[in-house]
Amino acid sequence: MGEVDEKTLGARVREARELAGLTQGELAQRVDLDRTAVNKIETGIRKMTALELSDIAAALGVRMSSFFSEPIPALVSHRSAQGLDTADSKIDRLLSQIASDVEFVTAFAAAELGFPNASEALPRPASLSDADGLAAQARKRLGLDAKEPVHDLVNRVASIGLLPFAVDLGVDTADAGTILLRQGAVSLINSHNKVGRRRLALAHELGHFLIADEYTVDWRVTDLQSGDVESRLDRFARSLLLPESGVRAAWLRHASRSRREVAVLLASEFRVDMATLARRLDELGIVDSAGAALIRGVTTTRADIVEFGLYIPDDLAGTSLPIPFQKAVLRAYRDERISRERALELLYGTFEDEDLPAPRDRREDELWNFVS
Amino acid sequence: MTQDPDALVFDTGPLRHFAGEGWLGVLKFLAGDRGVVIPESVQRELKRQVHDLPVLQQVLDAELIRVDRSDDLPFLMAFANYEQRLAVGQQNLGECGVLALGKTRGLELVLDDRVPRAIAEEEGLRVTATLPLLCCAIRDKQLTVPMVESLADDLIAGQYFLPFGPGGFRHWACEEGLIDYE
Repeated sequence: MGEVDEKTLGARVREARELAGLTQGELAQRVDLDRTAVNKIETGIRKMTALELSDIAAALGVRMSSFFSEPIPALVSHRSAQGLDTADSKIDRLLSQIASDVEFVTAFAAAELGFPNASEALPRPASLSDADGLAAQARKRLGLDAKEPVHDLVNRVASIGLLPFAVDLGVDTADAGTILLRQGAVSLINSHNKVGRRRLALAHELGHFLIADEYTVDWRVTDLQSGDVESRLDRFARSLLLPESGVRAAWLRHASRSRREVAVLLASEFRVDMATLARRLDELGIVDSAGAALIRGVTTTRADIVEFGLYIPDDLAGTSLPIPFQKAVLRAYRDERISRERALELLYGTFEDEDLPAPRDRREDELWNFVS
Repeated sequence: MTQDPDALVFDTGPLRHFAGEGWLGVLKFLAGDRGVVIPESVQRELKRQVHDLPVLQQVLDAELIRVDRSDDLPFLMAFANYEQRLAVGQQNLGECGVLALGKTRGLELVLDDRVPRAIAEEEGLRVTATLPLLCCAIRDKQLTVPMVESLADDLIAGQYFLPFGPGGFRHWACEEGLIDYE
């Protein structure tokens, strides 16, 4: 934590209150203080006890430590560019929370997070062909050859420093967001969407990470038709998940089957949704627009799953946390650097109390630590 | 705010033990001139627990125990640092205040819980626990082994995670000559 004076502390309380969308009076009511007291706190005139500050932090939905630490640079520049509107975005708030949790855990278990040394940012794609080139470079960084499907996208992405989290944020919010940290980055994927769309969203976020975009929130990946960087990153995502040589080879391999069957098999093999597959086949010239429309309308049935022996992926389902982050929380807990309650909170409800390891067994001679 | 540099800072758990057993007089004897301090976060926890354990009201009313309401920035920063490692909502805020007093005032802390004790040791803070205070009380003839052994066994197995079963405290203490067998 950095050095902070009363004035800075007050200003940070004000900023957090405004981000939470509360007036001074509303905050005062929630923490049982007068409005004038809140005003004086925010101007650095009135001191607070630790409990008062703890109550204020709880009322504003932030941790006390956020008042004393330097915010993540990407968050600062994003908020200064966006103003206070970001408070409206559920994904923005959660992404900030996850980012600060990752940075917190890094202090106790950096090795478990395994952030690689920062790689040089790749150039922003200026064309669709650049986007394909970026995807080829990404596949190399992820340890994939030019043809194979990306089955373990989450772990591969985490291995190059982008930690993917998923939470069901409902329908009226973004598909995904990414924030660069001082070391590594985190993505948050809205798991309300189906698995193909979730994987596509993560592939798109990987694009932002590779070109070192500091902070992005993406609404409706694949819906953008414009020629901006977002649509080029959509192309990047399709090219990453559906590499041209791999898709062409698979298409030929199943050439004797009906269009519908080929679509079902390819969507399963490359773990993408039908809309993404259709678009990719169209842009590669493998099918025409009528063929793409047909494929877009295909639904994988239960009979397909049984008869073709298909694997049903569930990447990024519900609330899911990247394995390196889970390991780091468990390491901090085992090393007695954080409490059991805090470990469970950092694991976002994915662990029950009994899922955590038992406290470390102590030796008999350690009793001396308790009596001397 | 805190005047006595030698005061003992109690966490909620140890105070519950002394109050629950009716040993506040013993606590007063043990503290002697040092005095007992609790941060206001411990006071809040005690107030919330009075309903379940009415004897805690005696702790809240005790003249012996002074409540620290520090509002200086080093204390707040230390508190916030521990809060991030230990607390969820209102849970564990008491020990955050205890550790912050140890960190910023150099006072000796009375903590039984595993993680805050580990943090205190990691940061070189002076820390003791309920059990050594009980041993002192036995040596000072304020309590006897039969009086404390049930609580001591509970603490050893339940909170300190040491490999002793029931009767372990008496056996160990006698073997080590820490206390005379009675």
